[in-house]
Amino acid sequence: MYTGSLRRLIDELGRLPGVGPKSAQRIAFYLLKVPTEDATRLAEAIIDVKENTELCPTCLNVADRGELCPICGDARRSTTTICVVEDPRDIVAVERTGQFHGRYHVLHGALNPLEGTGPDQLKVKELLGRLEPEGVEEIILCTNPNLEGEATALYLARLLAPLGLIVTRIASGLPVGGDLEYADELTLGRALEGRRNVAPSEEN
Amino acid sequence: MGLRRLDLTSFRVFSHAIFEPDPTGTTVLVGPNGTGKTSLLEAVGYLGLARSLRGSPREALIKNGEERAILRADLLMNERELLLEAELLREGRPRLQLNRQAIRSRKDLALAIPVTTFCPDDVTVVQGGPGGRRELLDEALVLLNPSMAALIEDVEKILRQRNALLKQSGGRLTAEIESTLEVWNERLVNAGDELVAQRIALIELLADPINDAYQTLAGSTEESITESYAASAPAGLAQGLEQSQREDLRRGLTTVGPHRDDIEFLLDGRDIKTQASQGEQRTLALALRLAVHLAARSHLGEAPLLLLDDVFSELDPGRSRRLINELPRGQTLITTASPLPEGVDPALVLDVVDLVAADG
Repeated sequence: MYTGSLRRLIDELGRLPGVGPKSAQRIAFYLLKVPTEDATRLAEAIIDVKENTELCPTCLNVADRGELCPICGDARRSTTTICVVEDPRDIVAVERTGQFHGRYHVLHGALNPLEGTGPDQLKVKELLGRLEPEGVEEIILCTNPNLEGEATALYLARLLAPLGLIVTRIASGLPVGGDLEYADELTLGRALEGRRNVAPSEEN
Repeated sequence: MGLRRLDLTSFRVFSHAIFEPDPTGTTVLVGPNGTGKTSLLEAVGYLGLARSLRGSPREALIKNGEERAILRADLLMNERELLLEAELLREGRPRLQLNRQAIRSRKDLALAIPVTTFCPDDVTVVQGGPGGRRELLDEALVLLNPSMAALIEDVEKILRQRNALLKQSGGRLTAEIESTLEVWNERLVNAGDELVAQRIALIELLADPINDAYQTLAGSTEESITESYAASAPAGLAQGLEQSQREDLRRGLTTVGPHRDDIEFLLDGRDIKTQASQGEQRTLALALRLAVHLAARSHLGEAPLLLLDDVFSELDPGRSRRLINELPRGQTLITTASPLPEGVDPALVLDVVDLVAADG
Protein backbone atom coordinates (compact mmCIF):
# COMPACT_ATOMS: atom_id res chain seq x y z
CA MET A 1 0.00 0.00 0.00
CA TYR A 2 2.75 2.46 0.95
CA THR A 3 5.87 2.91 -1.08
CA GLY A 4 9.40 4.17 -0.61
CA SER A 5 10.41 5.97 2.56
CA LEU A 6 7.06 5.62 4.31
CA ARG A 7 7.02 1.83 3.82
CA ARG A 8 10.58 1.66 5.12
CA LEU A 9 9.73 3.67 8.22
CA ILE A 10 6.67 1.53 8.99
CA ASP A 11 8.75 -1.64 8.56
CA GLU A 12 11.49 -0.35 10.86
CA LEU A 13 9.03 0.78 13.54
CA GLY A 14 7.25 -2.57 13.30
CA ARG A 15 10.43 -4.31 14.40
CA LEU A 16 10.45 -2.51 17.73
CA PRO A 17 9.34 -4.56 20.72
CA GLY A 18 5.70 -4.09 21.60
CA VAL A 19 4.91 -2.31 18.32
CA GLY A 20 2.54 -4.13 15.98
CA PRO A 21 1.75 -3.23 12.38
CA LYS A 22 -1.13 -0.93 13.36
CA SER A 23 0.94 1.03 15.89
CA ALA A 24 3.85 1.23 13.45
CA GLN A 25 1.52 2.81 10.92
CA ARG A 26 0.14 5.25 13.47
CA ILE A 27 3.59 6.37 14.64
CA ALA A 28 4.81 6.73 11.06
CA PHE A 29 1.91 9.01 10.14
CA TYR A 30 2.42 10.98 13.32
CA LEU A 31 6.07 11.51 12.41
CA LEU A 32 5.05 12.65 8.92
CA LYS A 33 2.85 15.30 10.46
CA VAL A 34 5.16 16.75 13.15
CA PRO A 35 7.54 19.67 12.39
CA THR A 36 10.85 18.59 10.90
CA GLU A 37 12.84 19.62 13.97
CA ASP A 38 10.81 17.29 16.21
CA ALA A 39 11.45 14.34 13.92
CA THR A 40 15.12 15.28 13.64
CA ARG A 41 15.42 15.44 17.41
CA LEU A 42 14.13 11.87 17.68
CA ALA A 43 16.47 10.67 14.93
CA GLU A 44 19.42 12.36 16.62
CA ALA A 45 18.52 10.90 19.99
CA ILE A 46 18.60 7.43 18.46
CA ILE A 47 21.97 8.03 16.83
CA ASP A 48 23.33 9.68 19.96
CA VAL A 49 22.36 6.78 22.23
CA LYS A 50 24.02 4.32 19.89
CA GLU A 51 27.20 6.38 19.54
CA ASN A 52 27.62 7.60 23.08
CA THR A 53 26.40 4.76 25.24
CA GLU A 54 28.32 1.67 26.07
CA LEU A 55 28.53 -0.73 28.95
CA CYS A 56 30.09 0.33 32.22
CA PRO A 57 33.52 -1.33 32.28
CA THR A 58 32.92 -2.55 35.84
CA CYS A 59 29.33 -3.68 36.21
CA LEU A 60 28.18 -3.74 32.55
CA ASN A 61 25.24 -1.47 33.23
CA VAL A 62 24.60 1.09 30.50
CA ALA A 63 26.92 4.09 30.84
CA ASP A 64 28.10 7.11 28.88
CA ARG A 65 30.99 6.32 26.58
CA GLY A 66 34.31 6.11 28.39
CA GLU A 67 32.81 6.55 31.85
CA LEU A 68 31.68 4.42 34.76
CA CYS A 69 27.94 4.13 35.27
CA PRO A 70 26.55 6.51 37.92
CA ILE A 71 26.43 3.72 40.52
CA CYS A 72 30.00 2.46 40.07
CA GLY A 73 31.10 6.09 39.94
CA ASP A 74 29.51 6.85 43.31
CA ALA A 75 32.25 6.47 45.91
CA ARG A 76 29.69 6.34 48.74
CA ARG A 77 28.37 2.99 47.61
CA SER A 78 29.75 -0.08 49.30
CA THR A 79 31.92 -2.37 47.22
CA THR A 80 31.59 -5.37 49.52
CA THR A 81 28.14 -6.39 48.27
CA ILE A 82 27.24 -7.06 44.65
CA CYS A 83 23.67 -7.51 43.48
CA VAL A 84 23.60 -9.68 40.34
CA VAL A 85 20.80 -8.93 37.87
CA GLU A 86 19.88 -10.18 34.39
CA ASP A 87 19.21 -6.85 32.72
CA PRO A 88 20.06 -3.15 33.21
CA ARG A 89 16.35 -2.48 33.71
CA ASP A 90 16.43 -4.67 36.79
CA ILE A 91 18.89 -2.21 38.36
CA VAL A 92 16.28 0.51 38.02
CA ALA A 93 13.76 -1.74 39.79
CA VAL A 94 16.10 -2.52 42.70
CA GLU A 95 17.22 1.12 42.96
CA ARG A 96 13.61 2.20 43.40
CA THR A 97 13.51 0.25 46.67
CA GLY A 98 16.23 2.52 48.06
CA GLN A 99 17.29 -0.40 50.25
CA PHE A 100 20.42 -1.50 48.48
CA HIS A 101 23.62 0.46 48.88
CA GLY A 102 26.13 -1.83 47.23
CA ARG A 103 26.97 -2.24 43.57
CA TYR A 104 25.48 -4.24 40.74
CA HIS A 105 26.57 -6.69 38.13
CA VAL A 106 24.56 -7.17 34.94
CA LEU A 107 24.69 -10.65 33.38
CA HIS A 108 22.89 -9.59 30.19
CA GLY A 109 20.67 -12.65 30.14
CA ALA A 110 20.00 -15.90 31.93
CA LEU A 111 20.96 -19.50 31.25
CA ASN A 112 18.74 -20.57 28.37
CA PRO A 113 20.13 -23.40 26.23
CA LEU A 114 17.11 -23.18 23.90
CA GLU A 115 18.19 -19.68 22.95
CA GLY A 116 21.85 -20.63 22.94
CA THR A 117 22.69 -18.76 26.15
CA GLY A 118 25.28 -20.53 28.30
CA PRO A 119 27.70 -19.20 30.93
CA ASP A 120 30.05 -17.96 28.18
CA GLN A 121 27.34 -15.70 26.78
CA LEU A 122 26.66 -14.24 30.22
CA LYS A 123 29.00 -11.81 31.93
CA VAL A 124 30.12 -14.36 34.49
CA LYS A 125 33.88 -14.09 33.96
CA GLU A 126 33.59 -10.35 34.44
CA LEU A 127 31.85 -10.98 37.77
CA LEU A 128 34.56 -13.38 38.92
CA GLY A 129 37.17 -10.80 37.97
CA ARG A 130 35.62 -8.24 40.32
CA LEU A 131 35.59 -10.34 43.48
CA GLU A 132 39.13 -9.85 44.64
CA PRO A 133 39.97 -6.28 43.51
CA GLU A 134 36.76 -4.92 45.03
CA GLY A 135 36.95 -7.00 48.23
CA VAL A 136 33.49 -8.48 47.69
CA GLU A 137 32.00 -10.34 50.67
CA GLU A 138 28.42 -10.95 49.66
CA ILE A 139 26.70 -11.70 46.36
CA ILE A 140 22.93 -11.23 46.14
CA LEU A 141 21.41 -13.28 43.33
CA CYS A 142 18.65 -11.12 41.97
CA THR A 143 17.72 -13.00 38.78
CA ASN A 144 14.09 -13.47 37.77
CA PRO A 145 12.02 -16.05 39.72
CA ASN A 146 11.32 -18.06 36.54
CA LEU A 147 12.88 -21.31 35.33
CA GLU A 148 15.83 -19.67 33.57
CA GLY A 149 16.47 -17.14 36.33
CA GLU A 150 16.38 -19.83 39.02
CA ALA A 151 18.75 -22.03 37.02
CA THR A 152 21.13 -19.08 36.65
CA ALA A 153 21.00 -18.40 40.39
CA LEU A 154 21.70 -22.06 41.11
CA TYR A 155 24.63 -22.03 38.68
CA LEU A 156 26.15 -18.93 40.25
CA ALA A 157 25.60 -20.25 43.77
CA ARG A 158 27.51 -23.42 42.90
CA LEU A 159 30.28 -21.34 41.39
CA LEU A 160 30.58 -18.69 44.10
CA ALA A 161 29.88 -20.45 47.37
CA PRO A 162 33.14 -22.49 47.30
CA LEU A 163 35.06 -19.20 47.05
CA GLY A 164 34.11 -18.37 50.62
CA LEU A 165 31.57 -15.67 49.77
CA ILE A 166 28.17 -15.18 51.34
CA VAL A 167 25.75 -16.01 48.53
CA THR A 168 22.11 -15.05 49.02
CA ARG A 169 19.01 -15.33 46.87
CA ILE A 170 16.23 -12.76 47.03
CA ALA A 171 13.11 -14.13 48.68
CA SER A 172 9.94 -14.68 46.71
CA GLY A 173 6.58 -14.14 48.23
CA LEU A 174 3.45 -12.07 48.30
CA PRO A 175 2.97 -8.57 46.97
CA VAL A 176 2.67 -6.04 49.78
CA GLY A 177 -0.81 -4.61 50.20
CA GLY A 178 -2.39 -7.55 48.40
CA ASP A 179 -4.93 -10.12 49.50
CA LEU A 180 -4.03 -13.71 50.24
CA GLU A 181 -7.07 -15.01 48.42
CA TYR A 182 -5.90 -13.50 45.14
CA ALA A 183 -2.40 -14.98 45.34
CA ASP A 184 -1.68 -17.83 42.96
CA GLU A 185 -0.81 -21.06 44.74
CA LEU A 186 2.76 -21.17 43.45
CA THR A 187 3.60 -17.81 44.94
CA LEU A 188 1.73 -18.56 48.12
CA GLY A 189 3.47 -21.95 48.35
CA ARG A 190 6.85 -20.26 48.06
CA ALA A 191 5.83 -17.71 50.66
CA LEU A 192 4.88 -20.53 53.03
CA GLU A 193 8.20 -22.27 52.45
CA GLY A 194 10.04 -19.05 53.22
CA ARG A 195 8.05 -18.25 56.37
CA ARG A 196 9.80 -16.59 59.30
CA ASN A 197 9.61 -16.99 63.01
CA VAL A 198 7.98 -13.88 64.45
CA ALA A 199 8.11 -14.92 68.11
CA PRO A 200 10.05 -12.27 70.05
CA SER A 201 13.50 -13.69 70.73
CA GLU A 202 14.20 -14.42 74.37
CA GLU A 203 17.32 -12.69 75.47
CA ASN A 204 18.73 -13.88 78.74
CA MET B 1 -21.99 -26.66 36.32
CA GLY B 2 -21.98 -26.85 32.60
CA LEU B 3 -21.75 -25.62 29.09
CA ARG B 4 -24.56 -23.23 28.19
CA ARG B 5 -23.64 -22.19 24.71
CA LEU B 6 -20.81 -22.78 22.28
CA ASP B 7 -20.19 -20.56 19.30
CA LEU B 8 -17.83 -21.97 16.65
CA THR B 9 -16.27 -20.10 13.76
CA SER B 10 -14.19 -21.80 11.05
CA PHE B 11 -13.76 -24.93 13.16
CA ARG B 12 -13.43 -28.15 11.10
CA VAL B 13 -16.43 -28.28 8.72
CA PHE B 14 -18.29 -25.45 10.45
CA SER B 15 -18.22 -21.94 9.03
CA HIS B 16 -20.29 -20.71 11.89
CA ALA B 17 -22.43 -22.75 14.26
CA ILE B 18 -24.14 -22.19 17.57
CA PHE B 19 -24.63 -25.10 19.94
CA GLU B 20 -26.84 -24.93 23.01
CA PRO B 21 -26.89 -28.27 24.84
CA ASP B 22 -29.22 -29.17 27.66
CA PRO B 23 -27.66 -27.41 30.67
CA THR B 24 -27.78 -30.37 33.06
CA GLY B 25 -28.81 -33.55 31.27
CA THR B 26 -27.90 -35.59 28.23
CA THR B 27 -27.80 -34.10 24.76
CA VAL B 28 -27.60 -36.51 21.82
CA LEU B 29 -26.18 -35.25 18.56
CA VAL B 30 -27.50 -36.88 15.42
CA GLY B 31 -27.04 -36.21 11.73
CA PRO B 32 -25.65 -37.77 8.58
CA ASN B 33 -21.96 -38.68 8.41
CA GLY B 34 -19.64 -35.79 7.71
CA THR B 35 -21.90 -33.10 9.13
CA GLY B 36 -19.67 -32.57 12.16
CA LYS B 37 -21.04 -34.51 15.13
CA THR B 38 -17.62 -35.54 16.36
CA SER B 39 -16.17 -32.14 15.44
CA LEU B 40 -18.61 -30.53 17.82
CA LEU B 41 -17.50 -32.82 20.65
CA GLU B 42 -13.92 -32.12 19.66
CA ALA B 43 -14.56 -28.37 20.03
CA VAL B 44 -15.95 -28.83 23.54
CA GLY B 45 -13.09 -31.19 24.41
CA TYR B 46 -10.55 -28.67 23.12
CA LEU B 47 -11.77 -26.11 25.62
CA GLY B 48 -11.16 -28.54 28.48
CA LEU B 49 -7.96 -30.24 27.35
CA ALA B 50 -6.30 -27.76 24.98
CA ARG B 51 -5.89 -30.62 22.51
CA SER B 52 -7.99 -32.57 20.06
CA LEU B 53 -9.66 -35.59 21.65
CA ARG B 54 -8.95 -37.38 18.36
CA GLY B 55 -5.28 -36.47 18.62
CA SER B 56 -5.49 -34.37 15.46
CA PRO B 57 -2.89 -31.67 14.85
CA ARG B 58 -4.07 -28.12 15.34
CA GLU B 59 -4.06 -27.27 11.60
CA ALA B 60 -6.66 -30.00 11.05
CA LEU B 61 -9.06 -28.19 13.37
CA ILE B 62 -9.09 -25.03 11.28
CA LYS B 63 -11.51 -24.96 8.36
CA ASN B 64 -9.84 -25.26 4.98
CA GLY B 65 -8.91 -21.92 3.51
CA GLU B 66 -9.29 -20.08 6.82
CA GLU B 67 -6.49 -18.59 8.92
CA ARG B 68 -8.01 -19.12 12.34
CA ALA B 69 -10.74 -20.97 14.17
CA ILE B 70 -12.54 -19.36 17.08
CA LEU B 71 -14.41 -21.09 19.89
CA ARG B 72 -16.45 -19.12 22.37
CA ALA B 73 -18.18 -20.89 25.23
CA ASP B 74 -20.53 -19.61 27.93
CA LEU B 75 -20.07 -21.74 31.03
CA LEU B 76 -21.71 -21.87 34.39
CA MET B 77 -19.25 -23.19 36.94
CA ASN B 78 -19.91 -23.11 40.69
CA GLU B 79 -22.55 -20.46 40.02
CA ARG B 80 -20.00 -18.30 38.24
CA GLU B 81 -20.69 -17.30 34.67
CA LEU B 82 -17.55 -17.75 32.62
CA LEU B 83 -16.70 -16.84 29.06
CA LEU B 84 -14.03 -19.15 27.70
CA GLU B 85 -12.55 -18.32 24.32
CA ALA B 86 -9.98 -20.03 22.15
CA GLU B 87 -8.40 -18.75 18.99
CA LEU B 88 -6.49 -21.35 17.00
CA LEU B 89 -4.06 -20.04 14.42
CA ARG B 90 -2.35 -21.98 11.65
CA GLU B 91 0.95 -20.78 13.01
CA GLY B 92 1.90 -19.80 16.52
CA ARG B 93 0.43 -20.75 19.83
CA PRO B 94 -3.32 -20.92 20.34
CA ARG B 95 -4.71 -18.07 22.38
CA LEU B 96 -7.03 -18.89 25.25
CA GLN B 97 -8.96 -16.40 27.32
CA LEU B 98 -11.15 -16.78 30.38
CA ASN B 99 -13.44 -13.82 30.98
CA ARG B 100 -11.21 -11.89 28.56
CA GLN B 101 -8.07 -12.59 30.61
CA ALA B 102 -5.32 -14.54 28.88
CA ILE B 103 -4.97 -18.10 30.15
CA ARG B 104 -1.36 -19.08 30.70
CA SER B 105 -1.69 -22.54 32.17
CA ARG B 106 -3.61 -25.75 31.59
CA LYS B 107 -4.64 -25.33 35.22
CA ASP B 108 -7.07 -22.55 34.39
CA LEU B 109 -8.71 -24.68 31.73
CA ALA B 110 -9.14 -27.62 34.08
CA LEU B 111 -10.74 -25.27 36.58
CA ALA B 112 -13.05 -23.69 34.02
CA ILE B 113 -14.31 -26.84 32.36
CA PRO B 114 -13.36 -30.28 33.66
CA VAL B 115 -14.13 -32.88 30.98
CA THR B 116 -14.02 -36.64 30.61
CA THR B 117 -13.88 -38.02 27.09
CA PHE B 118 -14.61 -41.45 25.69
CA CYS B 119 -13.87 -42.07 22.04
CA PRO B 120 -13.17 -45.07 19.82
CA ASP B 121 -9.45 -44.17 19.64
CA ASP B 122 -9.13 -44.66 23.41
CA VAL B 123 -8.13 -48.27 22.84
CA THR B 124 -4.76 -47.00 21.57
CA VAL B 125 -4.05 -45.94 25.16
CA VAL B 126 -3.91 -49.65 25.96
CA GLN B 127 -2.55 -50.96 22.66
CA GLY B 128 -0.20 -48.17 21.66
CA GLY B 129 3.02 -46.63 22.92
CA PRO B 130 3.61 -45.36 26.46
CA GLY B 131 2.96 -41.71 25.48
CA GLY B 132 -0.81 -42.23 25.50
CA ARG B 133 -0.73 -43.83 28.94
CA ARG B 134 1.38 -41.00 30.38
CA GLU B 135 -0.99 -38.47 28.85
CA LEU B 136 -4.01 -40.19 30.40
CA LEU B 137 -2.32 -40.17 33.79
CA ASP B 138 -1.15 -36.56 33.57
CA GLU B 139 -4.55 -35.33 32.40
CA ALA B 140 -6.15 -37.21 35.30
CA LEU B 141 -3.69 -35.52 37.70
CA VAL B 142 -4.73 -32.11 36.39
CA LEU B 143 -8.43 -33.00 36.47
CA LEU B 144 -8.21 -34.03 40.14
CA ASN B 145 -5.83 -31.26 41.15
CA PRO B 146 -5.47 -28.42 38.64
CA SER B 147 -2.32 -27.10 40.28
CA MET B 148 -0.53 -30.22 39.00
CA ALA B 149 -0.52 -28.51 35.59
CA ALA B 150 2.29 -26.23 36.76
CA LEU B 151 4.45 -29.19 37.79
CA ILE B 152 3.88 -30.95 34.46
CA GLU B 153 4.68 -27.77 32.53
CA ASP B 154 7.83 -27.26 34.62
CA VAL B 155 9.11 -30.75 33.82
CA GLU B 156 8.44 -30.15 30.11
CA LYS B 157 10.29 -26.82 30.14
CA ILE B 158 13.27 -28.20 32.05
CA LEU B 159 13.51 -31.12 29.62
CA ARG B 160 13.46 -28.77 26.63
CA GLN B 161 16.29 -26.72 28.15
CA ARG B 162 18.32 -29.76 29.16
CA ASN B 163 17.92 -31.34 25.72
CA ALA B 164 18.98 -28.12 24.02
CA LEU B 165 22.11 -28.09 26.18
CA LEU B 166 22.86 -31.75 25.41
CA LYS B 167 22.54 -31.04 21.68
CA GLN B 168 24.91 -28.07 21.94
CA SER B 169 27.48 -30.24 23.68
CA GLY B 170 28.00 -32.25 20.50
CA GLY B 171 28.59 -35.24 22.76
CA ARG B 172 31.54 -33.72 24.61
CA LEU B 173 31.44 -32.98 28.30
CA THR B 174 33.45 -29.78 28.55
CA ALA B 175 33.81 -28.05 31.90
CA GLU B 176 31.27 -25.44 30.83
CA ILE B 177 28.69 -28.01 29.70
CA GLU B 178 29.24 -30.02 32.87
CA SER B 179 28.72 -27.06 35.21
CA THR B 180 25.48 -26.01 33.47
CA LEU B 181 24.27 -29.56 33.08
CA GLU B 182 24.50 -29.98 36.84
CA VAL B 183 22.12 -27.07 37.27
CA TRP B 184 19.51 -28.50 34.89
CA ASN B 185 19.97 -31.94 36.44
CA GLU B 186 19.17 -30.58 39.88
CA ARG B 187 16.04 -28.86 38.56
CA LEU B 188 14.95 -32.01 36.72
CA VAL B 189 15.56 -34.22 39.75
CA ASN B 190 13.37 -32.01 41.95
CA ALA B 191 10.47 -31.60 39.53
CA GLY B 192 10.75 -35.05 37.91
CA ASP B 193 10.82 -37.06 41.13
CA GLU B 194 7.83 -35.09 42.35
CA LEU B 195 5.85 -35.80 39.17
CA VAL B 196 6.70 -39.52 39.37
CA ALA B 197 5.59 -39.61 43.00
CA GLN B 198 2.30 -37.91 42.07
CA ARG B 199 1.68 -40.38 39.26
CA ILE B 200 2.39 -43.37 41.50
CA ALA B 201 0.06 -42.01 44.19
CA LEU B 202 -2.64 -41.56 41.53
CA ILE B 203 -2.22 -45.13 40.30
CA GLU B 204 -2.63 -46.37 43.85
CA LEU B 205 -5.73 -44.23 44.25
CA LEU B 206 -7.19 -45.57 41.00
CA ALA B 207 -6.23 -49.23 41.41
CA ASP B 208 -9.50 -50.40 42.98
CA PRO B 209 -11.76 -48.19 40.86
CA ILE B 210 -10.07 -49.46 37.67
CA ASN B 211 -10.51 -53.08 38.71
CA ASP B 212 -14.12 -52.50 39.77
CA ALA B 213 -14.88 -50.72 36.50
CA TYR B 214 -13.23 -53.47 34.48
CA GLN B 215 -15.12 -56.26 36.21
CA THR B 216 -18.42 -54.42 35.94
CA LEU B 217 -17.97 -53.72 32.24
CA ALA B 218 -16.79 -57.27 31.55
CA GLY B 219 -19.74 -58.58 33.54
CA SER B 220 -17.49 -60.96 35.42
CA THR B 221 -15.35 -60.91 38.53
CA GLU B 222 -13.23 -63.85 37.46
CA GLU B 223 -10.25 -61.87 36.28
CA SER B 224 -8.78 -58.80 37.85
CA ILE B 225 -6.64 -55.92 36.66
CA THR B 226 -3.46 -54.89 38.39
CA GLU B 227 -1.12 -52.14 37.31
CA SER B 228 2.34 -50.96 38.08
CA TYR B 229 4.33 -47.86 37.29
CA ALA B 230 7.41 -48.65 35.20
CA ALA B 231 9.83 -45.84 35.99
CA SER B 232 12.76 -45.30 33.65
CA ALA B 233 14.77 -44.35 36.75
CA PRO B 234 13.46 -46.70 39.45
CA ALA B 235 15.97 -45.53 42.08
CA GLY B 236 15.15 -41.87 41.53
CA LEU B 237 16.27 -39.37 38.94
CA ALA B 238 19.48 -38.31 40.68
CA GLN B 239 20.90 -41.77 40.19
CA GLY B 240 19.14 -42.26 36.85
CA LEU B 241 20.62 -39.12 35.32
CA GLU B 242 24.06 -39.97 36.59
CA GLN B 243 23.95 -43.40 34.99
CA SER B 244 22.52 -42.14 31.71
CA GLN B 245 24.78 -39.09 31.39
CA ARG B 246 27.07 -40.59 28.76
CA GLU B 247 24.15 -41.89 26.72
CA ASP B 248 22.30 -38.57 27.04
CA LEU B 249 25.34 -36.66 25.78
CA ARG B 250 25.85 -39.03 22.89
CA ARG B 251 22.23 -38.84 21.76
CA GLY B 252 21.65 -35.21 22.60
CA LEU B 253 18.51 -35.90 24.61
CA THR B 254 17.34 -36.98 28.02
CA THR B 255 16.86 -40.74 28.06
CA VAL B 256 15.46 -41.17 31.56
CA GLY B 257 12.76 -39.28 33.40
CA PRO B 258 9.00 -39.01 33.71
CA HIS B 259 8.76 -38.54 29.91
CA ARG B 260 10.16 -42.06 29.45
CA ASP B 261 8.06 -43.91 32.01
CA ASP B 262 5.21 -46.31 31.35
CA ILE B 263 2.30 -47.94 33.13
CA GLU B 264 1.88 -51.69 32.77
CA PHE B 265 -1.48 -53.38 33.10
CA LEU B 266 -1.86 -57.06 33.89
CA LEU B 267 -5.03 -59.09 33.52
CA ASP B 268 -4.61 -61.97 35.95
CA GLY B 269 -0.89 -61.81 35.38
CA ARG B 270 -1.11 -61.52 31.58
CA ASP B 271 0.36 -58.40 29.98
CA ILE B 272 -2.74 -56.81 28.53
CA LYS B 273 -0.82 -55.02 25.81
CA THR B 274 0.53 -58.20 24.22
CA GLN B 275 -1.45 -61.11 25.68
CA ALA B 276 -5.06 -59.99 25.72
CA SER B 277 -7.83 -59.90 23.16
CA GLN B 278 -9.01 -56.76 21.39
CA GLY B 279 -12.22 -56.96 23.44
CA GLU B 280 -10.31 -57.09 26.73
CA GLN B 281 -8.17 -54.16 25.66
CA ARG B 282 -11.23 -52.13 24.71
CA THR B 283 -12.87 -52.93 28.05
CA LEU B 284 -9.77 -51.76 29.92
CA ALA B 285 -9.65 -48.55 27.88
CA LEU B 286 -13.23 -47.80 28.96
CA ALA B 287 -12.51 -48.84 32.55
CA LEU B 288 -9.59 -46.37 32.76
CA ARG B 289 -11.73 -43.44 31.63
CA LEU B 290 -14.58 -44.52 33.88
CA ALA B 291 -12.32 -44.82 36.94
CA VAL B 292 -10.88 -41.33 36.33
CA HIS B 293 -14.38 -39.94 35.83
CA LEU B 294 -15.56 -41.47 39.13
CA ALA B 295 -12.51 -40.20 41.01
CA ALA B 296 -13.00 -36.73 39.54
CA ARG B 297 -16.64 -36.70 40.58
CA SER B 298 -15.81 -37.53 44.19
CA HIS B 299 -12.97 -34.95 44.21
CA LEU B 300 -14.88 -32.14 42.52
CA GLY B 301 -18.27 -32.93 44.05
CA GLU B 302 -19.76 -32.95 40.56
CA ALA B 303 -19.25 -35.13 37.52
CA PRO B 304 -17.03 -33.54 34.86
CA LEU B 305 -18.70 -32.72 31.56
CA LEU B 306 -18.92 -36.09 29.83
CA LEU B 307 -18.20 -36.42 26.11
CA LEU B 308 -19.08 -39.79 24.56
CA ASP B 309 -18.03 -40.01 20.93
CA ASP B 310 -19.61 -42.94 19.10
CA VAL B 311 -18.73 -45.31 21.93
CA PHE B 312 -21.66 -47.67 21.66
CA SER B 313 -21.03 -48.84 18.11
CA GLU B 314 -17.81 -50.47 19.36
CA LEU B 315 -19.47 -52.33 22.22
CA ASP B 316 -21.85 -55.23 22.43
CA PRO B 317 -25.28 -54.39 23.92
CA GLY B 318 -24.38 -55.88 27.33
CA ARG B 319 -21.23 -53.75 27.71
CA SER B 320 -23.03 -50.65 26.42
CA ARG B 321 -25.79 -51.09 28.96
CA ARG B 322 -23.36 -51.69 31.80
CA LEU B 323 -21.27 -48.63 30.85
CA ILE B 324 -24.37 -46.45 30.86
CA ASN B 325 -25.47 -47.83 34.23
CA GLU B 326 -22.08 -47.20 35.80
CA LEU B 327 -21.45 -43.79 34.35
CA PRO B 328 -22.45 -40.99 36.71
CA ARG B 329 -23.72 -38.30 34.43
CA GLY B 330 -23.99 -34.64 34.95
CA GLN B 331 -24.07 -32.80 31.70
CA THR B 332 -23.39 -35.30 28.92
CA LEU B 333 -22.89 -34.95 25.19
CA ILE B 334 -23.25 -38.07 23.04
CA THR B 335 -22.70 -38.69 19.36
CA THR B 336 -23.85 -42.00 18.02
CA ALA B 337 -24.21 -43.76 14.74
CA SER B 338 -26.03 -46.72 16.25
CA PRO B 339 -29.23 -46.85 18.32
CA LEU B 340 -28.83 -45.61 21.87
CA PRO B 341 -28.57 -48.30 24.52
CA GLU B 342 -31.37 -48.61 27.03
CA GLY B 343 -30.96 -46.37 30.03
CA VAL B 344 -29.97 -43.25 28.13
CA ASP B 345 -32.71 -40.67 28.47
CA PRO B 346 -31.80 -37.78 26.27
CA ALA B 347 -33.10 -34.45 27.49
CA LEU B 348 -32.43 -33.05 24.07
CA VAL B 349 -31.76 -34.48 20.62
CA LEU B 350 -30.12 -32.10 18.18
CA ASP B 351 -29.50 -32.55 14.49
CA VAL B 352 -26.08 -31.07 13.79
CA VAL B 353 -27.29 -29.70 10.48
CA ASP B 354 -29.65 -27.38 12.37
CA LEU B 355 -26.80 -25.83 14.36
CA VAL B 356 -25.26 -24.04 11.42
CA ALA B 357 -25.97 -20.41 12.02
CA ALA B 358 -27.25 -18.19 9.28
CA ASP B 359 -24.41 -15.74 8.80
CA GLY B 360 -25.29 -12.12 8.79
